[in-house]
Amino acid sequence: MTDAAHHAPVSVTAPPDNPGLPTPLWQRVLIHGVLIAASFVMLYPLLWMFASSLKPEHEIFSNPSIWPKSADFGAYVRGWFGLRYSFGTFFWNSAVIAVLAVIGNVLSCSLAAYAFTRLKFAGRDFWFAMMLGTLMMPHHVVLIPQYVLFLNIGWVDTILPLVVPKFLAVDAFFIFLMVQFFRGIPRELDEAAAMDGCGPWRIYWRIMLPLSLPVLATAAIFTFIWTWDDFFAPLIYLNDMGSYTAQLGLRAFVDSSGKSDWGALFAMSVLTLLPVFVVFLFFQRLLIDGIATTGMKR
Amino acid sequence: MSEIRITRRAALAGAGSAAMLALSSRLALAQEKRLRMFWWGSKERADRTYKANELYTARNASTKIDGETLGWTDYWPRVATQAAGRNLADVLQMDYRYIFEYARRGALMPLDQFMGKALDIADFGAPSIDCGKVDGKLYGINLGNNSVAMLTNVSAFEAAGLKAPKTGIDWKEFSALCGELTKAAKKDGFYGSMDAGGLEPNLETWLRQRGKGLYSDEGQVAFSADDMGEWFAMWDAMRKAKACVPADVQALDKQNIETNPLTLGKAAVAFAHSNQLVGYQAVNPNKLAIDMYPTIGAGGKPGQYLKPSMLFSIAANSKNAEEAAKIINFYVKDPEGVKAVGVERGVPASPAARNVVAADLDELGKAMVNYIGMISDKIGPLPAPPPKGAGEIAFLLKKTNEEVGFGKATAAEAGKKFHADALAIIARG
Amino acid sequence: MATAVGTAVPLERGVRRRLALGRNLPGYMFLAPWLAGFLLLTLGPTVVSLWLSFTNFDLIGDPRWVGAANYVRIATADEKFWTSMKVTFLYVVLAVPFKLTFALLVAMALNKGISGLTVYRAIFYLPSLLGASVAIAVLWRNLFAGDGLVNQLLFWAFGLKGPSWVSDPDYALYTLVILSIWQFGSPMIIFLAGLRQIPQDMYEAASLDGAGPTRQFFKITLPLLTPVVFFNAVVQTIEAFKAFTPAFIVSEGTGGPVDSTLFYTLYLYQEAFAFLRMGYASALAWILVVIIAFFTAFSFLTAKYWVHYDD
Repeated sequence: MTDAAHHAPVSVTAPPDNPGLPTPLWQRVLIHGVLIAASFVMLYPLLWMFASSLKPEHEIFSNPSIWPKSADFGAYVRGWFGLRYSFGTFFWNSAVIAVLAVIGNVLSCSLAAYAFTRLKFAGRDFWFAMMLGTLMMPHHVVLIPQYVLFLNIGWVDTILPLVVPKFLAVDAFFIFLMVQFFRGIPRELDEAAAMDGCGPWRIYWRIMLPLSLPVLATAAIFTFIWTWDDFFAPLIYLNDMGSYTAQLGLRAFVDSSGKSDWGALFAMSVLTLLPVFVVFLFFQRLLIDGIATTGMKR
Repeated sequence: MSEIRITRRAALAGAGSAAMLALSSRLALAQEKRLRMFWWGSKERADRTYKANELYTARNASTKIDGETLGWTDYWPRVATQAAGRNLADVLQMDYRYIFEYARRGALMPLDQFMGKALDIADFGAPSIDCGKVDGKLYGINLGNNSVAMLTNVSAFEAAGLKAPKTGIDWKEFSALCGELTKAAKKDGFYGSMDAGGLEPNLETWLRQRGKGLYSDEGQVAFSADDMGEWFAMWDAMRKAKACVPADVQALDKQNIETNPLTLGKAAVAFAHSNQLVGYQAVNPNKLAIDMYPTIGAGGKPGQYLKPSMLFSIAANSKNAEEAAKIINFYVKDPEGVKAVGVERGVPASPAARNVVAADLDELGKAMVNYIGMISDKIGPLPAPPPKGAGEIAFLLKKTNEEVGFGKATAAEAGKKFHADALAIIARG
Repeated sequence: MATAVGTAVPLERGVRRRLALGRNLPGYMFLAPWLAGFLLLTLGPTVVSLWLSFTNFDLIGDPRWVGAANYVRIATADEKFWTSMKVTFLYVVLAVPFKLTFALLVAMALNKGISGLTVYRAIFYLPSLLGASVAIAVLWRNLFAGDGLVNQLLFWAFGLKGPSWVSDPDYALYTLVILSIWQFGSPMIIFLAGLRQIPQDMYEAASLDGAGPTRQFFKITLPLLTPVVFFNAVVQTIEAFKAFTPAFIVSEGTGGPVDSTLFYTLYLYQEAFAFLRMGYASALAWILVVIIAFFTAFSFLTAKYWVHYDD
């Protein structure tokens, strides 16, 4: 395998953080001005949500400003401990499902993508078309048959229907994504490795995966975020409140047939955003540094 | 509780196989009765429901109740899915509209067998029991009564030197008064009333006042194209007189509390249900008054009626139906249960239960109970169950009123089209 | 003679089979997890939904076979079907190109060396994290309602009095197109990953040859990025055809005002879960699948003329 690594082009490196000549000061000020203004538009809902979590209930909708007249953090306590289970439980449930989903998706989808891009076998195009076909189906109509299926094997009210499919690569989006990236990796690399006697497993593990770290990081980020934010599948499969995810917990604060706790909803919405935001910040490093650290260090 | 905790943790750790789960839940079943209860509602309702369940299980140690709760919008897809899988919760909350859909399709269990035994609700009186009947069989137990109600920001009227609309006002006076408020308030984008031309309960009340209704006993449309033309024209006139909000403001209303023009500070009157008073008041800085809908004046019939704000039903697939019936009884009759639930689901149908909750009502609770008491001699009977397709017609009403509001159809055209479309929907089923 | 041929053929076939097995085995081993998921979890429910599209399934009762009745009604007597088709096509045509262009531009800008890059990138991804929450609904109202920020700006700058964009049937859909563009985070990240995969030495070589930034973009960046552009275009088109949640921002899923935001899948969802006509909804779904499949097949056929792969 060390032989294979020697074939990795040394030139595959990330662009330096500041290529070319240093930008003049006024230009940098301008760029940052535009970026900061744009950031505000992007941040506004979050700011509004945060402000609303501090406002007294009767101000939330009648006063649209993002400056609360008074600030009260009581909603955070009410929200965290207010439902029958603390939000800590919901966060834990969400985290377990999301982490397992990340592992499952990255592993299983990259295996399938490798098969579709680098291996020749009978029926490849047919299966590829089938895989794309699964992207097109509106999930609301397969939901009921799928629910009955999971019910019959006793998986309803467990996290299995949310996790096991990820290990079986049912998210065609990620297979297709990885296929597109794998095809961008020069074939000479694995051809050379094959000549050195590497089998498909070794090429997959030692060449493809390390060289495609940016796309693996992308898949990991998206899987985590989308699983964390998903509510429809947990809505259908998790019944008991103790197994609720954070998104389901949020949906138990508010209802039009009685008195809702809007403050708690917005307080917990803010907190629910934090983990995904942190994950994003962490994984995007992999995305950026990805190529710089691969191919070189082994 | 301990069994399920272990199971859940095992599953979460990724170590729990389906077989293990099945085994441990079967072990749990051997020792105790496990029931699932599912309701829609907010945090307040969740608190009260869990409290009531705790009180019940404290007294019946061998029973365990798993509570499942979500908001209204998310509740129905889950119920529909579970019904398709014959996996409904033992005790589930039902709405007056949907109980027919689910009972007739065989998803719910008839409860007549428990009457006089596990269910001791004879003192509800016939109307409050019969509202849970479908085709002569009892499928739902009334959890509390409510009725439609007009909620008014009184201080907006007073600040403008006007008298706020009260019970007994007719539609003409109401429209004039709201027009005056809009003028007198002189606030840009603030109007007397919301536009309720697209709200089904308003239309129904108005039709009943005219001696008609939405649907006949046979499940047919009970109004004419002319009725609808007049209805749309009435609201169109109010929009043009600026008595109610214009169409593009009303279209911001997603028919929930937080987007109602009253909540957004764009109108002084909202049309809602009496059990929503608490919810509306919580997000409104001004004090709200609760009154009956306007009438059609002299010669009009009672338009409003008492209806169950929600019901408890038992799933046809329940293996612990008897116990489920006992739990429901605890909610509507047992002083401990009744106290825990309060008037959050509406005013209890049982007089004895009403006395129990009367003791610790807050101001809003009292206003609600008084309102239900006040209207009791001004209301008509419960209408016939809505036919299949009624939900779709409610959507259609909103859309058609918007067409008139945005000038895409005249009131008369809209009346004819709505009538024809409603007939087609009913015919399709 | 005859016997010789008789024995030779099976032998050959066995060898060929063994050879074929040896050639196909690795592929199928790598494909095994997906294949298992497809055959066990996806295929069954999909076939069932196809069958249900020929029944009157109402979720609770037993499905009854009605032949092509659902499809016939869709084609001949369903006004809402055509309304929702129109809404959806308009949305696809507008939202997809704008969103992709915007995502690519921002990805290129963020691929340059600017301090605080990580923070900006994260902030720009934020709208995509929020999905269709209440906060976004409120933001859109504050921006695009009659007294919203956009109209205040229009009035201040041009003295114009704009309509209530978000709740006017003539404009509501366009505010959702803007929402879709605003939530450009996912394609942006994928573009970024693609840009990072372009070997830096190609730029260095081009610089030495005297190619300016514009030339570099068209000669290096864009051609090498085509697989990713292709991916984003196909996936975003499919997603736009299946758009569902944006309508909750404007209408809480009713498709209003006056059905101007009645997306196809929203209509399908109403039929399935609000009006309990799952059979009919399944028929609607299969029509959509055929339409999407047509467009996807078309993009794959044209791909060979403009998508540049290394292999």
